[in-house]
Amino acid sequence: MKKLIVLLLIVGFGHNSYGQTYNDFETDSIEASQPYKPSKTQFMIRGYGHTGLNTLSSGDETESSYVGSAFAPIFLFKHSERLMFEAELEFVLGGNELEVGLEYADVMYILNKNMTVRAGKFLLPFGTFMERLHPAWINKLPTKPLGFGHDGIAPSSGIGVELRGAFDLGGPKLNYSVYSTNGPRLKDGSEEPEEAGMLLFQNFEDNNNSKAFGGRIGLLPFADSSTEIGFSTYSSSKVGARGSEYDNTGAFLYAIDFAFVKQIPAIGGFIDIKGQYNNSDIDDATFTEVHEDGDEEEYTFDNKSDSFYTQLSYRPTMASSDFLKKLELVGRYSNLNTPEGAEWEEQSDQYTFGLNYWLTWRSVIKVAYETTDSVGGHDGGGKTDGFFVHWAIGF
Amino acid sequence: MKTIHKTVITSLMLLITSGIVVSCSSTKDKYIESTDVEEEFVMEKSGAQLWGEACNRCHLAPSPADYNDTDWETISLHMKIRANLTEKEMIKIEAFLKSAN
Repeated sequence: MKKLIVLLLIVGFGHNSYGQTYNDFETDSIEASQPYKPSKTQFMIRGYGHTGLNTLSSGDETESSYVGSAFAPIFLFKHSERLMFEAELEFVLGGNELEVGLEYADVMYILNKNMTVRAGKFLLPFGTFMERLHPAWINKLPTKPLGFGHDGIAPSSGIGVELRGAFDLGGPKLNYSVYSTNGPRLKDGSEEPEEAGMLLFQNFEDNNNSKAFGGRIGLLPFADSSTEIGFSTYSSSKVGARGSEYDNTGAFLYAIDFAFVKQIPAIGGFIDIKGQYNNSDIDDATFTEVHEDGDEEEYTFDNKSDSFYTQLSYRPTMASSDFLKKLELVGRYSNLNTPEGAEWEEQSDQYTFGLNYWLTWRSVIKVAYETTDSVGGHDGGGKTDGFFVHWAIGF
Repeated sequence: MKTIHKTVITSLMLLITSGIVVSCSSTKDKYIESTDVEEEFVMEKSGAQLWGEACNRCHLAPSPADYNDTDWETISLHMKIRANLTEKEMIKIEAFLKSAN
């Protein structure tokens, strides 16, 4: 009996001791109640995607197609409070193919409160449209203005190094960017004769030792940051291939941009006005045109181009109806003039009108009508009408 | 074109030099003062006000609830560089987003 009592006491106390070790408030319980502590290194995937229906009419021909979903993931690696890497991929379905592109990939380091250095492939601050406004969930219309994008006259990205930053002037603000990139290369017509004299901005390996230099200064003159005026330049003393007859051909581009965004109670909503003028001046050069019969003919032209767009949008954010608050009216005028005498000579005017419905701050359904009047250009000119229904989402 | 190119390079070099001089001439005291968020909340614009002004310059202002504090830190750093925001703007906007999510 005594042995049984001793055994029960040992088991009892042993159980209590054992149990207490698992209820030690100085270890497990406190650790479990501590809040989540994030790591210093942070990683995020953001980006955007869009899809829609395009209907284009030109003369007697009408084409209608669901345009493939575009998916553009953005990878952000924050290594510390000063060091970050960003990269954007772009997957687009077009021409029955999946096109994959690296929009940008660069490392950024904050030197001080006014200066940040970037290196890699980055969006060029030539004006504001390509750097800030082109993503589908930000662009208020389903199309880009004339002069931007494929065969555009304004550069969108480059590989190089950039210094940028902003200054608070005690109300007004000033931002700046200065960069050097591989620069553009001149299309000499050997591969695409109809594009001789155009600049190709995707210069992954420099075709000469002359780098392009550029920059932008933006001034926000009012304390409410409603207005921004910017001036950009982009210059290269050599755009032709090294050793070619275009070796000494140079190019100078500049852009002027304007933005006004403000909620005005008198009209019950947000007004957003944007605009940008691009000008491209390339040294005159002589190109060769090969006729169908094999004869060659040399020609030259004054290689100057310009483009312009202005956009006005209105959101009745102060309306009493929740439905009306989410609507947005947009209108845009766009214009492109390429050199007279070039194979790619074009004068185009474009008007676009849109009605947007914002599902959330980063998801929008866009319905737009666009009419373009062209003389020259790839398609030979004429009038083209387009009707678009797009859905864009940022994430 | 070469003259224009040289003018552009000279102007950009002047811009860089001016930027470096101004950045480096900022005193440390002023730097600390500008990052003192609580003090700035009282004296100047609030983070909520700056969130409405700065974000809407390009896109609709984001909902604070859509991301957690850690995400907002990453996004704020990214947007400071991408949109060329001042340090003061970024600090105040980030503080507001983290307080309102």
